[in-house]
Amino acid sequence: MESSRVVIITSRNVLSASGIPEPKIVLRMLRKGLELLTGVSKAEDGLSAFFKPGERLGIKVNTIGRRALSTLPETSVTLGLWLGQTILREDNIIIWDRTNEELKDTGYKLTDARGSLRVFGTDSRGSGYTEEPLVNRSIGSLFSRIQAEMIDASISLAILKDHGLAGVTAGMKNYFGAIHNPNKYHDHHCNPYIPELFETSLIREKHRLTILDALKVQYHRGPSFNPKWAENCQKFILSSDPVAADAVGWKIIEDLRARKGLPSLKEENREPVYLFTAERLDLGQATLNNIKIVEEEI
Amino acid sequence: MDRRDFLKCSVTGCGLLLTAESGGRALAALAAPAAKLSRVEAKYYQKLPDREIKCDLCPRFCQLGDKERGFCGVRENQDGKYYTLVYGKVCSYNIDPIEKKPFFHFLPGSAAFSLATAGCNLSCKFCQNWQISQMRPEQVQNIDLPPEAVAEQANRYNCPVIAYTYSEPVIFYEYMYDTSVSARRRGIKNVVVSAGYINPEPLADLIKVVEAIKIDLKAFNQDFYTNYVRGELQPVLDAIKQIARSKVWLEIVYLVIPTLNDNPEEIRMMSRWLKNEIGPDYPIHFSRFHPMYLIKNLPPTPVSTLEKLRDIALEEGLHYVYMGNVPGHPAESTYCPSCGKLIIERYGYTVKKKGLSGNKCQHCGQTIPGVWS
Repeated sequence: MESSRVVIITSRNVLSASGIPEPKIVLRMLRKGLELLTGVSKAEDGLSAFFKPGERLGIKVNTIGRRALSTLPETSVTLGLWLGQTILREDNIIIWDRTNEELKDTGYKLTDARGSLRVFGTDSRGSGYTEEPLVNRSIGSLFSRIQAEMIDASISLAILKDHGLAGVTAGMKNYFGAIHNPNKYHDHHCNPYIPELFETSLIREKHRLTILDALKVQYHRGPSFNPKWAENCQKFILSSDPVAADAVGWKIIEDLRARKGLPSLKEENREPVYLFTAERLDLGQATLNNIKIVEEEI
Repeated sequence: MDRRDFLKCSVTGCGLLLTAESGGRALAALAAPAAKLSRVEAKYYQKLPDREIKCDLCPRFCQLGDKERGFCGVRENQDGKYYTLVYGKVCSYNIDPIEKKPFFHFLPGSAAFSLATAGCNLSCKFCQNWQISQMRPEQVQNIDLPPEAVAEQANRYNCPVIAYTYSEPVIFYEYMYDTSVSARRRGIKNVVVSAGYINPEPLADLIKVVEAIKIDLKAFNQDFYTNYVRGELQPVLDAIKQIARSKVWLEIVYLVIPTLNDNPEEIRMMSRWLKNEIGPDYPIHFSRFHPMYLIKNLPPTPVSTLEKLRDIALEEGLHYVYMGNVPGHPAESTYCPSCGKLIIERYGYTVKKKGLSGNKCQHCGQTIPGVWS
């Protein structure tokens, strides 16, 4: 089996003293990460591996944790502007999540203006959800029209967190924010719901890249922000394999837990077993032995 | 909105609910759309360390961190306190005949002021009202209708009954409870249409303020509850027994879905269980399924299947076995279990009391259980 490539890129200076990412360093990290992921010397040259000019891109962020623990605009807007200046048109890029309120509370300025990066939630006028549920195996959901109709390609720009029910929430679970009924899919450790949702055509056929925001990682008592168990890791994790990216995220959380003297997720009976289901569904690699991890610090 | 502008269905404006509402009376719009969700502290939960909570309302016992919602989608942990977001936030209301709930032994022919909020603590793949039950409250249009206003409106429209129905009243428990208390003060009765997925303590408290509960028993095996309902059978059976032990009137509905829960032997076992555990006198309605929501690949239930299952339940000794969603069928009507004569004739939701005198069969004097006045 061919191994999946996952890049971990670290910078000790990306977060300010108050914990806010510095956009210039964010961009340097993401560019370096893409270079290592695609094997090119200039990140712009690697973008064609993921996107075609003219495509409409959705950057799905995670803002449930508001300003304290979310994908901040300092990260996502930086990424969006760069992609808009390189391979895609700026107004073909939507940074989005479930609600405008969550986005605003996280510091986003909502906009749907022609000619610029667009930022809005599924509850915006003109968005909303599809009318008929899409069924895949055990799930059935309405999808955000942003995911279903307004984009051709998707980046899951998710926050890496411990999750009391799923074990770990990262790039795949981020798409729970693309459906109308995520509350129905949290039992049984969110398994098999996370992979079965990802497997739907509206996600699997559009997903191109996972970028895990591990700048500040909640390694215990997540997904809510609990500063006692949050660590400034100052990392991004990038992969075109959505399962491998999350599996590496899981390892980072386990390493942090071990370092802090906490039991493993397995010992707490909340391993993210959905990753192994995802592997069985051929969505990617969950076994670390099959993942090539490339780490670099800038 | 002008009073002449009638809302024939829910404020969600969804077509399917319009169909479901077609037996009801049109109702004037009551209020402007609600701007915000409610923030009323929930009953029945425990505070845990690190701002987590554990909900004790239903058998799911959702344990949630800050800003997370329960399976129902309408209760949220906000900084370690648990809130209902739908208190007084009605997404669907109408005046329906009580037979539509269905209650056949509870004030026949009465008008029931019927209402619902968004949300449900189950996830039935065949849900007939999924556009409200499987939604979060912010995904539907709500109006503000506080408990006092519900009772006032019921009075205004000459409804002797308020029905908590359409979605799953358990998830708007606090609102239902307070409305029931308010309605009782005005002499209005309260009925609950539920799947019975509720814990004993909240059910015990609810029983004190309502007059009747209809339970949707979805099947008589756990596999069905696992695969098509996403819940457990046993708590529902426990709720049925708990209600039957109380003074609250009980009726049971069993939606028959072809090939999924129409096994005759299972119906026989269920009928025996009902007779043994709660006695033969609580009505059971075998209702006809129509393809809906996530199950669209099955046909409507053949009438012959319903007839067969009804025969089995009667053979097992249940006294009042009805068929639902088959207008004009003789099994919509009530027959005296003693003399076999027609007591209440029904066609759809139209009722003619023919052979009932008080609570007795006019023909033979047999007591017919129910709430008749």
